Amino acid sequence: MAVASIKEIKQKALEELKAISDLSQLSEYRVKYLGKKGVITLALKALKDLPPEERRILGAELNELKDFLEERLDSLKRELLLAEEDRLTDFDITLPGRRPEIGTLHPLTKTIREICDIFLRLGFEIVSGPEVESDYYNFTALNIPEWHPARDMQATFYLENGALLRTHTSPIQIRTMLQRTPPIRIIAPGKVYRCDADVRHSPMFHQIEGLMVDSDVSFADLKGILTYFAKETFGERTKVRFRPSYFPFTEPSLEMDISCVICDGEGCRVCSNTGWIEILGAGMVHPEVFRAVNYDTEKWQGFAFGLGVERITMLKYGIDDIRLFYDNHLYFLDSFKTL
Amino acid sequence: MKVPISWLREFVDIKADPAEVAQILTLAGHEVEEIFDPYQNLGEIVTVKILEIFKTEDLQEVVVCKVTDGKNTFEVLTTAKEQVRPGLIVALAKPGSLTFDHEKIEVKTVKGYRSEGMFLSPFEAGVSPEKDRLLAFSDEVELGLSIYKILNISEPVLDIAITPNRGDLLSIWGIARELNLITDWELRPPVFPEDLKEGEPFSGKIEIWDSTSCFRYIGRLFKGITVKESPFEIRRRLFLVGQRPINNIVDITNYVLLELGQPLHAFDWAKIAGSHVIIRKAKRGETLLLLDGNWRTLSEEDLVIADKEKALVLAGIMGGEESGVTENTWDVFLESAWFNPKSIRLTGQRHRITTESSYRFERGVDPNGVFLAVLRATDLFVRFAEPKEISQIVDVYPQPYVPNPIELPVKKVSKVIGFDIGEERVEATLKKLGNLVREGDTFKLIPHSFRQDLRIPEDLIEELARLYGYDQIPSKMPFGELTSRAPQREFVLKDKIKEILTGLGFYEVITYSFINPEYLSKLSLAPEDRRLIPLKLSNPISSSLSVLRTSLVPGLLEVAKFNSHREVEDLKIFEIGKVFFPQSELAEEREALGLMLKGHHLEGAPWEGKRRQFDLYDLKGFIEALFSLLRLSVEIKPFSREPFLKKGLSFDLYVGETRIGYAGEIKRLILEELDLKGPILIAELDLELVSQAKSQQLEDIAIKKPPKFPSTFRDITFIISKVVTYAEIKAYIDSLEIPFLERVELFALYEGEPIPPGEKSLSLRFWYRGEERTLTDEEVEELHRRVAKELFEKFGARPR
Ligand SMILES: [Zn+2]
Repeated sequence: MAVASIKEIKQKALEELKAISDLSQLSEYRVKYLGKKGVITLALKALKDLPPEERRILGAELNELKDFLEERLDSLKRELLLAEEDRLTDFDITLPGRRPEIGTLHPLTKTIREICDIFLRLGFEIVSGPEVESDYYNFTALNIPEWHPARDMQATFYLENGALLRTHTSPIQIRTMLQRTPPIRIIAPGKVYRCDADVRHSPMFHQIEGLMVDSDVSFADLKGILTYFAKETFGERTKVRFRPSYFPFTEPSLEMDISCVICDGEGCRVCSNTGWIEILGAGMVHPEVFRAVNYDTEKWQGFAFGLGVERITMLKYGIDDIRLFYDNHLYFLDSFKTL
Repeated sequence: MKVPISWLREFVDIKADPAEVAQILTLAGHEVEEIFDPYQNLGEIVTVKILEIFKTEDLQEVVVCKVTDGKNTFEVLTTAKEQVRPGLIVALAKPGSLTFDHEKIEVKTVKGYRSEGMFLSPFEAGVSPEKDRLLAFSDEVELGLSIYKILNISEPVLDIAITPNRGDLLSIWGIARELNLITDWELRPPVFPEDLKEGEPFSGKIEIWDSTSCFRYIGRLFKGITVKESPFEIRRRLFLVGQRPINNIVDITNYVLLELGQPLHAFDWAKIAGSHVIIRKAKRGETLLLLDGNWRTLSEEDLVIADKEKALVLAGIMGGEESGVTENTWDVFLESAWFNPKSIRLTGQRHRITTESSYRFERGVDPNGVFLAVLRATDLFVRFAEPKEISQIVDVYPQPYVPNPIELPVKKVSKVIGFDIGEERVEATLKKLGNLVREGDTFKLIPHSFRQDLRIPEDLIEELARLYGYDQIPSKMPFGELTSRAPQREFVLKDKIKEILTGLGFYEVITYSFINPEYLSKLSLAPEDRRLIPLKLSNPISSSLSVLRTSLVPGLLEVAKFNSHREVEDLKIFEIGKVFFPQSELAEEREALGLMLKGHHLEGAPWEGKRRQFDLYDLKGFIEALFSLLRLSVEIKPFSREPFLKKGLSFDLYVGETRIGYAGEIKRLILEELDLKGPILIAELDLELVSQAKSQQLEDIAIKKPPKFPSTFRDITFIISKVVTYAEIKAYIDSLEIPFLERVELFALYEGEPIPPGEKSLSLRFWYRGEERTLTDEEVEELHRRVAKELFEKFGARPR
C-alpha cells in the first residue's frame, strides 16, 4: 500500500461523506469504510506488511481518519435522527381533537352572574326571597295599596290559596330590611312572574333587585352606582341618561337609559330611533317603605333599583324573542359556549 | 295619552318643533312613545286624474270613472256624476284606507262593476266641513301623491306615557301646564265669559248620600237642546286622538274630558224619575244595564248615580243604557263630579271596566277643575247644541278641598339629592308648584289643587331634581361602612354545582315554574304523593301553565319534546330551580336539581364515529363525579320507589339516613303517552337536603404519600351467579380486612358464551403493598390464595 492510495481513500471517503442524506446511506457508508471488511479496516490490516517507519506514519494517518469519520458519522446520525422526527406524519392536525364534552350555563345565568359580580365588587351581598309572596310584601309594604292604579303596571298571577307569584324582586327589600338593621347593601336576583306573554313578555322572567341603605346615601350616589354598572356591563363607551319616572316605592324615582348598543346612538328599530334604550328603574327608598319596616326616616336614607335580566341579555347578544330563553333549544344554548 | 300639537298650542306658546317637545317631555319623566300623524295613518289617499267616464244602463245613480295615479289606471264608481269630468283631479281613497269618519274602503262590486276605491269629499278626507262636493285639485298637482302632502296638512300627535301618579297630565290643558312648568313657555289658560255662570233656577234636586265616595257633584240642566252631528272642528279633534264621534252632546263631554281632564256625563233629563239625582252606594243585588250592553249586578261597595227609583249610572265609570242621551233627548242634565279615587278604582276592578273616565278619576282629578269643566261644556253646548234654557250651576260640595301644606326643611334637599342645587333655585321652583311660604329653614308649600301627587317632602325633592334636570346632577360613588357577609351556603352550592355540571358537559336549561298538571297525572304517582297536589294559579295564562311545579321532571321532559321536534335528539341537560308545595302560609319552596340524559353521546373525536347510547351507568357516573367534586359522600341504593322509573334501572340517593333524590330510566309507556322517544334517564335531587348534609358532614381526608416500596398485584377471574351484586362482593372483601391489600379493581365483566346463563365472569385485580418493606412473592401468593378461597366459598363462585 502506498501513501498515494491512502490519500485517495481519504479524499473519496470525505467526498462520499458529504453526499450522505439519510440513515440508510449512512449505515451503508459505515459498512463500506468502517465495517469489518471496510476500506479503512482493510487498509489498517494491510499496514502490518509494511516497514515499521512507514507503518507508523501511515497507521497514524489512517487512525486519525477513522476517528474523524466515526465522530462525524455519530453526529450526522443524531442530526438525521432528529430530522427524521420532523418529517410530516399522516396525522391531520386540522381534524377535531378528542374533546371531552363541555356544557354551558344558560345565558340568563351568565348575565345574572356578571351583574352580581359587579355589585359584589362594590361590597354588595347576594340575598334571596320567596317566589310565592303575599300581597303585603309584594304590594302593600311597597306603598302599593289595593286601590293603587300602579297595580295596573304589574299584571299579577294569583294562587288559589290567596298568595301570589311575586311580580318583582322588590319584596326582598322589605324582607331584608325587616331582618337587619342598616347599613345595608344587597343585591337579589330571582324569578318574577307577570300575567302576559308575547315576543317581548314572558310570564316568568328574571330581575335583579338592589338596595343600599345608610346614613346619607344620596340620589347622586345612585347615579354613580348605576353609571358604573352600565359601563361595566355594556362597555366603557356606553353613555347613560337618567329620566324622572314613577314607582310607588321610590321617591324621587328614575329610569336609566343607555346609548343604544345596536346603533351606537344613531337611531334604529330597537331604540325606536331615539338612540336610547331603557334598562332599569330605580329611586330613593320611599319614606312609606321605611315606615313599613320601622326604619327611622330621619336617620336612614337609601336607594333601590331593579333591572330585567332578559332585557339586558337580549340587548347584549342581540336576541329579539324572549321565548328563546325558555324554549331551551340546544342550538340556542350552544351559541353561548364560545362567548 | 294622545296630544295633538295643534290643540296643545291653544294653551301654551310652544317654542320648539314636535320632536323637541317630545324630548323635553321625555326627559321630564313623561315618555313620548311615538309621534304620529293621524292623516298619514288613514292609508293611501292620493290624487288621481279622471281619464274617461262611462254611463251604464244598469247603474242609474252612479257612473264608472277610469282614473290614473300617473302609473296605473283604476276604475272607480261614484254617485257624484254631476261633478266628474275627464281631466278632473280628485282624491281617491284606495282599498285598505280609512276615511276621516272611520269608513273602511274596500274593493266593491256593484252589478258586476268593480270600484277600486272611493272619491272623497273634503269632509270625508277630514279637510273641511263640506260634504256635498268632491275634493278636487288644480291641474298642476302631481298625480299619485298623498293629498295631505299636497294640501300641506300635517298634524303631529304625541303619544305620551303618563305615570299613574300624574292624573293631572291626562289632558291637553294638563300637558300645557306641565310644559309651562318645565320650560316657562307662556301659558294661555282657558277663559269664559262671566255670564256662562248664570242661569234659571234648577227644577230638580241633587243629593250626595255618600260623601266619602263622592266629594263634589255639580249638575246643570240644558233644556230644549238639539241632538245632532258635532261640528267639523270637534269631530276633527276627536279624530286626531282616535275617538269616534257619536253626537254633539256626547262628543262635547268627551271633548272637555280630553281638553281639561275632567270626565263629564250627560243624562237624558226625562229619564231621571222625580227629577231627583241621588249619589249613593248601590243596593246589594241591584242591577244596571251599562252602555257596553252588559247587565251588571252591583255590590254595596259600588257608587251609583240614581234617581228616586233606581240606579242609572255606575258613577265615574260608565253610563247606563237607559238614561243616556239619544236623538229623542230634549233636556240634558250635565254632571261634573269629583269621586274618591279608591272607590272608583275598586269598583272598576270588581267589574273589570276601565274607561277614559274611570282612568282619570282613579288617578285623581283637580277638585277645582270640576267647575271649570262645566263652564267649558256650557260654552260648547251654547255654540253647538242651541239650548233654549240653561239652569244655574248646582254645586254640591259638602267638604271643600283643603290641601295640606308640605313642610320641606332646606337642608333635606341637598341631603337626599347629594348635591346642592342652590337655595334660590329651590325657592323659585317651589313657587311654581303652589303657594310657598318660608319659615326659617323650612319651606311650606300648598301645592296647586291639580297636583294631587304632591303630598310629602320627598315629592317636592323629586320635583326639584326633575326640573333641575336629572342629568345635571353630578354622579358620585357612595361612601359607607362595608357590611357584606360571606355568601350564603345555598348560593355557593348552586354555583358550584352549575360549574361542575357544565364542566361535565351538561347544558343548563331554565323552564317555567308553572307546568301542565296533566304531566303530574301521567307519572303514575301514588295517590297520597304530595307532588300530585300542586299549588294552582287562579288566573293562569293557559291550562298548560296552570299549576306550580312539584318536580323538575315535567319541565325537563318538555325541553326534550321541544328539542326532539326540532332535530335535536341528544340531550345532556340540567336545571336548578324551585319546586313548590302547599303549606299553611305562602308555599313551601324547595330548591331542586334535575338532570337528564337522552339519546347518544360521542366517545372520542367526532370523526371516529364512536357514538354510544346513554345508559344508567352514564347517569350514575355523572352523579358520582358531581358528589366527588362536591366532596360529599353519597350512598346509592338500588332500587328507587319512583313509579315512573324502570325499577331495575333506578336507584335512590342517600346522605346518611336522608334520602336526597333518585335517578333512573323513565318507563317507556310513560314516554309514549307524552309522545317522546326514549330512553330518557333522569335524576332529581333536593338541594336543600344536599346543602344540609354538606354542612353536617365533616371533611375526613386521608392523606396519601408517595409509596416507599413497590406494589405487586394478583388477578382473580371467576364465575359467579348474576344475582350477586358487585357491591356485595366489594363489601365482603372489605370485611375480610386483608393485610397489605391496598385496593381492588374490577377490570373485566363478561356475560354470555361460554359462561352459562344466569352467571357472569368477573376479573378482579388485587394490589398489595407493604408500608415498611417490599413484600415477598411467597407471602403475597399466600395472602391471595386465602382471598380467593374466601370469595369462592362465600359466593359459590369458581375460577374460570
Ligand atoms: Zn338603536
